[in-house]
Amino acid sequence: MKRSHPLKLRLRTWLRLAALAAAIVAVSGLLAACADPQATNTTAADAKKETKDTKAKQMAKRLTGAELYAINCNRCHAERYPTEFTPPQWKTVLTHMRVRANLPATQAREILKYLQEESGS
Amino acid sequence: MKIPSLIHGILAAACVMGAALPQPAPAQVSADDFNALKKMVEQLGDKVQKLEQTHEQDQKAHEQDQQVIEQLQKQLGETKTAITNAQQTADSVAKVQSAYPVVNASQGPMHNFTIVGDAEADFGKSAGQHSAFALADFAPIFLFRASDNVLVEAGFDTILNNNVDQNGNRAPGSSTSFSMSFGQLDYLLNDYVTVVAGDMLLPLGTYSERGAGWLNKIPDDPLVRGVLPGSGVGVQLRGAVPVGESGQMVTYSVYGVNGPSSGFSNSVANASALDLGGNVGDTPNWHADPSGGGRIGWFYPWAPHHDLELGVSGQTGSWSDNGSHIWSAGVVDAALHLGPNFELKGEYIQTRYGSDDLGQLDPHGWWAQAGYKLAGLNLDLPYINNIELVSRFDCENDGQGTKTDRYTAGYVYYFSNTLYFKGDYEWLHSRGPGALPENSFVFQLSYGF
Repeated sequence: MKRSHPLKLRLRTWLRLAALAAAIVAVSGLLAACADPQATNTTAADAKKETKDTKAKQMAKRLTGAELYAINCNRCHAERYPTEFTPPQWKTVLTHMRVRANLPATQAREILKYLQEESGS
Repeated sequence: MKIPSLIHGILAAACVMGAALPQPAPAQVSADDFNALKKMVEQLGDKVQKLEQTHEQDQKAHEQDQQVIEQLQKQLGETKTAITNAQQTADSVAKVQSAYPVVNASQGPMHNFTIVGDAEADFGKSAGQHSAFALADFAPIFLFRASDNVLVEAGFDTILNNNVDQNGNRAPGSSTSFSMSFGQLDYLLNDYVTVVAGDMLLPLGTYSERGAGWLNKIPDDPLVRGVLPGSGVGVQLRGAVPVGESGQMVTYSVYGVNGPSSGFSNSVANASALDLGGNVGDTPNWHADPSGGGRIGWFYPWAPHHDLELGVSGQTGSWSDNGSHIWSAGVVDAALHLGPNFELKGEYIQTRYGSDDLGQLDPHGWWAQAGYKLAGLNLDLPYINNIELVSRFDCENDGQGTKTDRYTAGYVYYFSNTLYFKGDYEWLHSRGPGALPENSFVFQLSYGF
C-alpha cells in the first residue's frame, strides 16, 4: 500500500484541525452576536460592558455568585475564602479557573463579582 | 403757723398778676389763606396717597424678592446637597479605584502577577522497601494576566529524589528535578471560545487538569493514568455554553498537539519505544503528523453541591517517528456529588497503538473513587467532623501481559480549607512480567496556596 508523503499527512491533519477550529470560532461568534445584539451594531467597549453588566444582573436574579461559586468550585477543591486574595488577584485567579475548569463566561463574571465584593479589600 | 401764711400770700400774688396780664387776641384767617392752606392739605393728601401706593408696590416687590430669595436659598441647598453627594460619590469612586487600580505604566508589570499552587511532603513504605520520607514537592503555578483577555500561566514541579543509576540501583547523593508540568498562553476570544497555545494539560478525562496534589484526595495517581500523556505541545480551543438558568452547561475542548513519539529510533517502532510525552519541539521534530483530540462534557447541577458531570474524550495520531503506527485513546469520565459530603468519580480509559515487534496493543483500565466527609453525620465532634474517608479501586492492563488491581482506603484530615493530612493503605494484586510491588502505605501533608 502506497503511503502518503509525511508532509502531505501533516498538512492534511492540520487542515482538518484548522477547519474545525474555524467552525468553532464561527459558531461562537454567532452565539456571541445572538446573545449580545448590540455587538453587531456598535464596537464601543462601553456599550458591550453595559450589556454584559445587564446580563449579569439578570443572571444574579437566577443564581447568585455565591451559589455559582458553591456549584462550580467545590466539586474539584475545597472552597477558598474570598478574603484569601485581593480583588485584582481574584481577577487573575478567576481567569485561570475559567480556562482550567471551562466555566461559562457569564458565570465566571458572577463568581468574580462575588469574590471581589466579599474580599474585604 | 408761718408756712400756711406764706402759701396764702403766694396765691394772692398770683391772682393779682393774672388779672393784670393782657388777654390774647382772637385769630383772624383770611379766605385766601384758608384756600391756600386747603390746597396745601390736598396736595399733602395726594402725596401721602402716592407714597402709600409706592409703598404698596415696594411691599409687593419685596415679597417677590423674598420669594426669589427663598427659591435661590432652596436651590442653594439643593446645590449643596448635590455637591455633598458628588463628594461622597467621588470618595466612593476613589475607594473603588484604589481597590481595583487601573493598570498603567507606573504600576509596573507585577500588578497582575499571582502565584498559586501546592506543596506536598510524603512519608510511606512499599513492599521490600524501608519506610521513609519519600517526596518533597513544591509545585507553584505562575499566573500573569497581561490584559482582560490574555493570561500567561505555567506550572512547575520541584521534587527532591534519591539518586539511582541507570538500572534503578542505589547511587550516592540526591538530586532535585525541576520540570514544567504546563506552560501556556490563554486568549479569551469571546464568551464561548478560549484559544490556548503552548504546553497544555490534555483534557483526556478530567484527572490531569484536576489532579494536582492539593486537589487529589489520594496521594498517588490511578495506575491507568500512566497509559495517557499528561500534557502536549500544541493549540487548543475550549469553552463552555450555559444551558438554561440552573448552572447547567456543555463544555468542549478541541486541540492539535505534536503527540507521542518513539523514543529511541527513527526507523524502529517497538512497543517499548512509545514515548507518550515525547514530541515537544520542532528541532528536531520526531515525526511528521500531529495528533488531534478533544473532549465534550455535560455538567448538570440541580442544587449547590448536588451535580453530575459526564464526559467523553479522545486523541489519535501517529506516534512512530516514521509515521507507520497510530496511537489512539478514548476516555469516559463521570463525577457525582450528592451534597457537600459525598463524592463519587471515575474514568474508563482505553488506548490502542501499533508496534513493529508486538503488533497492536490495547493498554486500558479504569478507576473509581469515593469520598465521604464525616461532617455529614452531624456529630458534635469537631475533630471527627474534619475527617473525610476515601477509597479507590483502580486497575490497569498494560497490553503487554501485566495486570494490576489496587484497592485503596484512607482518609483526609482537613486542618483548614488548604492544609490537609492524608493517609492511605493500598492493597495491590499485580501479575505479569512488569508486576508492581505489593501492599504499601503513604501519608502526605499537602498545602494549597
